[in-house]
This record gives sequence, structure tokens and C-alpha cells, in this order.
Amino acid sequence: MDKKKLVILASLFLCLIVLIVIYLNLGGTAKSRPAQFISSSQSESEAEKQIEPSTIILFFPSEHDSLLHREERKVIPESSLAQQAKRIILELLNGSQLGFISPIPPETRLRELYITGEGVAYVDFSREISDKHLSGSSAELSTIYSIVNSLSYNLKPIKKVFILIDGGEKKTLGGHIDLSSPFQPIYDMVAK
Amino acid sequence: MSSDAGSIPAASKIGIDCRDKLVKFRRGIPKVAVAFSLIFLALNIHGISQSQPIIRLSVQDHENYSRVTIQSSQPLSSNVEKSEAYVFVKLRVNAPPRFQRESFQSQFIKSVSWSNGSGSYTLTIQTEHENYSLDSFKVQNPPRLIIDIYPDGEGGQPREFDVTETDRTSVEGQREGMNLQTPDPECIVIDPGHGGLEAGAKGKFGTLEKDLTLAISSKLADIVKQTRASNVVLTRDRDEDVSLEDRSAIANNNKASVFISIHVNGSYRKGAAGPETFFLSQDATDEDSRRVAFLENNSEDLENSIQAEDQDVIKMILWDMAQTAFLKQSSQLAEEIQSQLNLLWGTKNRGIKQAPFKVLTGVACPAVLVEVAFLSNPQEERKLLTEEYQVKVAEAIYAGLAKFLRDNSR
Repeated sequence: MDKKKLVILASLFLCLIVLIVIYLNLGGTAKSRPAQFISSSQSESEAEKQIEPSTIILFFPSEHDSLLHREERKVIPESSLAQQAKRIILELLNGSQLGFISPIPPETRLRELYITGEGVAYVDFSREISDKHLSGSSAELSTIYSIVNSLSYNLKPIKKVFILIDGGEKKTLGGHIDLSSPFQPIYDMVAK
Repeated sequence: MSSDAGSIPAASKIGIDCRDKLVKFRRGIPKVAVAFSLIFLALNIHGISQSQPIIRLSVQDHENYSRVTIQSSQPLSSNVEKSEAYVFVKLRVNAPPRFQRESFQSQFIKSVSWSNGSGSYTLTIQTEHENYSLDSFKVQNPPRLIIDIYPDGEGGQPREFDVTETDRTSVEGQREGMNLQTPDPECIVIDPGHGGLEAGAKGKFGTLEKDLTLAISSKLADIVKQTRASNVVLTRDRDEDVSLEDRSAIANNNKASVFISIHVNGSYRKGAAGPETFFLSQDATDEDSRRVAFLENNSEDLENSIQAEDQDVIKMILWDMAQTAFLKQSSQLAEEIQSQLNLLWGTKNRGIKQAPFKVLTGVACPAVLVEVAFLSNPQEERKLLTEEYQVKVAEAIYAGLAKFLRDNSR
């Protein structure tokens, strides 16, 4: 009798652990899709009612020229400006769906993003953005301006973008472009 | 998203105003760090060794003259030359000296700077105007060279000597109107990109950007030395780490006439090819101007917190803005170099580019960064590996530089 109970309890406990593990794993893979992750905690129907996908434009370098190219993407609208900005960066981190070059090393994580009253977005990346970055002025420029242009183009209140690495100010990504000042977008770099 | 909690938690919880303050505070730290690293650089730039002479410089205003005292830890051999508003003091010493100087305020002496040529070191004293006479003499214990500058050409007035100065050994009297050589103060600073642990771009065949930049820079330096009577300074002449701030400081300390940073490009695009020449973008200088405005508004605090002898460091920080004044010339220089490189590589003019390059921001003279070709392009890598092409690239850059100097000759 006691033995049976124990077995049932043990199997229930095991199930619970398995469920937790599965849940955590999903959480891990969903890190680049935080909006969906958040909405999954609400009831499905309620979430669907709210969702009216909005279009954002991302800028990626291409194999064919030295310009940045537009890529449209439908995303779930976010509540705050900072959340929308995070969304854009996370989509950039996911890389291009149209075969453009993904200028940010895939291991890179977005650590934090906040926007000041003066319209400067501080985007804090994990160290991989610099450690795993391909060295060269052109590579650095395309990474920086795909971030800066994507944020500023979609979110008008963002006038400038300051790139932080591992929570701090770094001199450069790879020895060239100055990260100690915020960047303004350069739309001349975008293909017509 | 879960990673959000890991960073700047304070900033994410407090209000926007506080964030701004935090940001300003965070941005303040690097400035202090820069100040201290510049002090450190100033003390160490010439390396410290036992046989190294220490040369200490001070300037004092007296009633009708300004006195420059050059004190040395070893016997001094020197030569003083006057040229318009400049006094050039050539020092001959056995080993590279370590310079120390006190900050000064003088009504007649605008600035004192030093530069090194081949085997000799030159102190340049800039005066307010060219109508002056000077008197120079040496005293012993410790060895000193004293230069008195009389603003209205009324030199040679009887002066009181300190007791320690009675051992006056020689007077290398230089008077206005004497036959004086006109030295060429032109100084070309060449900056081989990267170095040491920082290898820069890597080619398919294992070529490192830092090695190519040094090879091309050395060749360019040789050509300049052979062709012109100008000083040439390399920011590094071996495989070593030199910070980006130190590179611009070397240019400014040597009173560079032109600063050329040599790089080899890298791109995600395999097809990317051809040379590119950059000068600093306006954006970056706008930002610098704002920073300088902030520094100037707060300079009293800075002056109080930094010791008098390190005051020059503040000036060095203010050099952040310096490149603004040279953007037009920098773009001209970029254009001349780019058109020569286009001839060499047979490329169409891709146009001169502007970008906020860290190494250019603090340089107080026309300054460009040349990406001679793409190391990420195997064909260009193969070419760049040959001695022949390195020489050709150096020659092309020199041709652009020479044209620029011709058009801008003083």
C-alpha cells in the first residue's frame, strides 16, 4: 500500500520535473521571440484579439553592394517605445529572412535597452558583438548602421543610438569606429 | 528577455532623469580615465631607462622678458635657432630623453612642444609675434640651458643672476637679424593600424592586417624621408599595441602637419574590393564640440582637481575638437590619396567617405584613414602580400600626400 503510494508520488514528481525542464527549454529557445513568449502567458483568444501585426523595416547589408537593404517584417505591436525598440533589435539579431547578410554575430544577445528623454537609445549588447565581430572598417560600419538606421527609421522619437557592450561604454567594435558617441542614422547608406 | 535583469538593473528601475544623470556620470568616468592614461602616456611615451636623460622644462615671465629653462639630468649639447615667431632648440643627447614640463602662463610664449627627428630632439617655442630678440646661455649644476626672450627686441639688458647661475659657461647668443637657418617644421605622422594583440582583419591565406599596415607604412615613411626634408614619425615601428588615443597624442605631440592612418579593410561581402579613404564625419565632430563645451563649462572643477603640472592634459582632452577645424583639408587630402589609389587599382572613384573613426577624432591636423584594399577579398590579399604591391600602394599614397602638400604649402 505505502509502496504503491510512493511509486505514484515518485512518478508524479518525475512528471513535474520533466514538465519544468520542457518549460525551461522552451523559455530558452524563445529568448529571441519575447513578445510571443509573454503573450503565451495570457489566454490564447485574448492575445489574438489584441494582435494586429505591424510592419517594421529592418536594414541589412547585402552581398551585391556596399549599401544597406530594406527588409519588411510583420511583428506583434509592443506597448512601450523601449519594448518596440527591443523588438526591432531582436528581429535584427534573428538575421535576414531574404538572404541578406546578418551583420551582428549570431551569438550576440541584447542585454538591455533604454531610451532617454532626449531620444537617445542606449542599446546594450553582450560581448560577442565585439568578440566575434569580423574585423574591418566596412564590417563595423555595416553592423553599426544596420542597428542605428533600423531603430531610428521605425521609431521616430529615437534620434540617436548609443551602443554599449556588456553594460559599459567601449571604444570600438574592432578597432575602427568610435562607440563613445551616439550615432545618428545615415540613410545615404540605404539602397534606393 | 530573461537576460534583461542582468544588466544595469539600477538604470532600468529608476526614472529617465536619473538615467540621464547616470549616463553622464558613466560618460564622465572614461574622461577621467583618459586624463590619467594621458598623464601616464606623457610620463612613459619615451620609455624609462636608467641612461635616459630627463629634460625638465619651465617657463617664467619676468618684467621685460620671458625665460625658458631647459634643465637636463645629463650634460646638454644644443643649438638655438630663431625663425619668425618660433625658436627651435635642437638637443643632442645619447638616448631618447624623457621630457617633463610644468604648466605655464606667459604673456609672450604661446606654447612649447617637442618632436624627435633622426638622432636629435627639437623643442619648439612659439612666441606671440616675430618681433623679439633672444639670449641663450648655459649654466651648470644642474646643467641648464636658459633662453631669455625679449618681446620688443630689447635683449641684452643687464639681468640679475641667481647664485646658482654664476657658472655661466657659454652664451650661444642669437640676435634678431643674425643669419639663421629656416628649419622645416613639416612633420608627417604615419599610423600603421592595429598591432600587438590587436591583429585587425584576417585574410583567407592567414594574412594579418597589422602586418600589412606596418609594411606599407614603413615603405611610405621611407619614401617621404627620401623625397622631402620633413620629419617622419611612425606611431609604431614594430608589432606592438598602441592605443587609439596614444596614436593621436603622438601626432599632436609631434606637431604633425599631416596624419595618415593606414588600414586594410574587411567586409562581410566576399566581393568587396578596392581602396577607400575616410575622413572624420561631421556627426562625430558635432558630438565632440558638445563634449568640449561641457568640459569648458566645467573646466574650473577639472583645473582644481588636476595638479598644475598636468594641466596640459586638459588641453589634450580639448583636442577632441581639433579635427573639426581641419575637416575641409582632411577631405582634400582624402580626395588626393583616393584618386591616386584608384589609378593604381583601376577602380572607379567610390567617393570619399566620412565615418567617426576613433583614431581621427583627436588629431589636430589634416587627418585621413586609408583602407588600401580588402583583406577579406582573396585576390586583393594575394596582391597585397607582394613587396611590389606594397611599394606601389605606398607610392600612390605619397603621390596624393605630395599633391596635397603642394596645394597647401604655407
